[in-house]
Amino acid sequence: MTDFISANLPYLLGGISVGGQYALISIGYTMVYGILRLINFAHGDIFTVAGFFMVYMSATMPLYISLPLTIVLTVALGFGVERVAYKPLRQAPRMSVMISAIGVSYLLQNLMWYVTGGLAKQYPTVPFISGTVTVYTATTKMVTLVTPILTFVLVLALVQLINHTKIGMAMRAVSKDFETAKLMGIKIDRVISVTFIIGSFLAAVGSILYFTNYTAVTPTVGAMPGLKAFVAAVFGGIGSIPGAVIGAFIIGISENIIKALGLTTFSDAFTFALLIFILIFKPSGLFGEDDNEKV
Amino acid sequence: MKMKRVIGILLIAAAIALLAVTLSAEGMLDELLQGMDPQNLAAQDAKMLKARDRVLDSFAENDREKTLRNLDKYLENYEEVLTISSAARMEVFAYRRSPVLLAAAAFLLVLGAALIVQSLPGRQKLHQVSTYAILIAALYAGVYIAENLAGASSMLVMVLKKGVIYALIAVSMNLLNGFTGLFSLGQAGFMLVGAYTYAIFSIPVADRAQVYQYYAGGIVQFQLPVLVAILLGGIAAAFFAWLVGMPVLRLKSDYLAIATLGFAEIIRAVFQYDGFGPVTNGSNLLRRFPTFDTVLYPFAVVGVCILLIVLLIHSTYGRAFKAIRDDEVAAEAMGINLFQHKQQAFVISSFFAGIGGALLAMYQTTVQASAFKASMTYEILLIVVIGGMGSVSGSVLASFLFVASSEWWLRFLDSPMTIGSFQVPLLRSGFRMVVFSIVIMLVVLRYRQGIMGDRELNLGLFKPRRKQEEKHG
Repeated sequence: MTDFISANLPYLLGGISVGGQYALISIGYTMVYGILRLINFAHGDIFTVAGFFMVYMSATMPLYISLPLTIVLTVALGFGVERVAYKPLRQAPRMSVMISAIGVSYLLQNLMWYVTGGLAKQYPTVPFISGTVTVYTATTKMVTLVTPILTFVLVLALVQLINHTKIGMAMRAVSKDFETAKLMGIKIDRVISVTFIIGSFLAAVGSILYFTNYTAVTPTVGAMPGLKAFVAAVFGGIGSIPGAVIGAFIIGISENIIKALGLTTFSDAFTFALLIFILIFKPSGLFGEDDNEKV
Repeated sequence: MKMKRVIGILLIAAAIALLAVTLSAEGMLDELLQGMDPQNLAAQDAKMLKARDRVLDSFAENDREKTLRNLDKYLENYEEVLTISSAARMEVFAYRRSPVLLAAAAFLLVLGAALIVQSLPGRQKLHQVSTYAILIAALYAGVYIAENLAGASSMLVMVLKKGVIYALIAVSMNLLNGFTGLFSLGQAGFMLVGAYTYAIFSIPVADRAQVYQYYAGGIVQFQLPVLVAILLGGIAAAFFAWLVGMPVLRLKSDYLAIATLGFAEIIRAVFQYDGFGPVTNGSNLLRRFPTFDTVLYPFAVVGVCILLIVLLIHSTYGRAFKAIRDDEVAAEAMGINLFQHKQQAFVISSFFAGIGGALLAMYQTTVQASAFKASMTYEILLIVVIGGMGSVSGSVLASFLFVASSEWWLRFLDSPMTIGSFQVPLLRSGFRMVVFSIVIMLVVLRYRQGIMGDRELNLGLFKPRRKQEEKHG
């Protein structure tokens, strides 16, 4: 029994940690989808750009400036992307907005490639969370323990924001019924901007935690975690924040179990198999609301 | 009318003359050289004879490029001693340019025949077919001539090859996204299936031990003819699509997008899995399968495929697809079996994506599963959008534009440039793609219709369809 635990504990810890990071990204997906009915394909790339912000900024600035600045810049990027690429298409068919999101993703990836020259960059070490710690028999980075706690705190704060503030109420209203909310005098554009700001903020935090763990940043590294976070959002029921978080943890942990079984090639495939499974048997996800299609 | 017939006959005569000259030059290089021999045989020293033999040897080996090189050297070095008549000069020219001349002759032949057909009274349909024949002949002859003039490894030829393959893939995706309204993002997965199936079944048996060096030569120990293997690639992709389609096609728009994207990733993982190594070579690349050496090959295959897609779009099936796109509920009420038609569109689209994948493998000469990422699907989707959702000719045009500008026209942005003493800022490796993606974003945001919208290219050669027909159709 002890052997079993000590053999598998690192994987479990890794799973919880990566699950928390996926959770932070997937909230951005689920909130945007809840309000705009848009799969924001660029979200994974915003997450990667946040990684590069940190790489370049920490080269010249002390940590206490570069860390907040990374978050601010990422938020600004998320806000800017929405303004430039999604806002002009408010009246367009949903497919067009999705294509625009894919275009943004393409642009950001090429931009990152241009700036970095396509080379992997070493992520700076962040004191405290980069340090190592021993849990029972497994030695791991501090970030492994910090991630779930931080995720929990942030999600709690977010849920409070959504349930108990005016802007939170507006968000709920918009996601329930876009048109009616508009008629009720809610400033739709403001609500959408706030949604993107929150999503990008969480993606920036997630990026700091994720890259502290994986250390190398390349222009396309964010694509996979981005897609997985999206799957987590769908799995948990798109539009539902607790759903996204639980979905992310389930995916993160199962992925690491599969790696522990020696089937690393299939760890990505498993996530998508899970997606297809849930879409077929419960398209609304674990916590999603069923919405009946109107003709 | 008479005029047309006369011109047609003249063109055919000219074509035959051209053919005769070219073909005669093709077979008679030895006689030609003998005719040039100097009157005074004493002038024929050993060196000269050797040079002449070199020409004849390479000619006998059927190595055109080498023959031309040797011939040039021979003619240049011994110009004073040789008697080179103007007829001989012409024949040398005909030999040098014989592929171009043959292509030109073939085009003239088609043009002449088409003109004669058009001079015959009546037969509206036949006239239209002959116009198409002229256009197609011009396209193929032009491409072939361009290849021979620009050289097989020139940028132009590379762009033509890659462009035409992307055209097929873009059209196949347009069939799904533009004509049936299914937002599918699985194209890269089906291309992968096509490329791998082609490669696995067409690697020569003798080379398998080397390609599958980690898997003891693999378990497939036979080789299929190239065209059969390409077709098999399409069929395999279609089969996968049939399997994938059963669960996935019941989903709605964006869920469908993400599910097909997911399946493409699963396919990629499966093909890279070590356990299937004896068939797929695991995560190592496949190589040494037959490739094409003339640009006409992909043009011919893609031409046939796109023709089939266009015929499909104009059939009752195509109309059903468009009905589903425009209004699913109404289409169902009209008695269209939604699932069955979506499944058909999905399988057919994937079939052609598989063939496109096989051609892409031939173009690249090697194939590796890790290259068929979601970003490949995104690229093709962007091509479809630039060309216009629901326009076959738009997709074709956009493919060439996309490939040409990303691989060729914008290349200059990737290398530093100085004008006078002014160093142009920003120019360095990767800038081309940044500019390129900004242009794409502009198209997506400002010109949502793309180049063609949902119309087709019409060169003004054909009368627009009568309104009456549209209404009944």
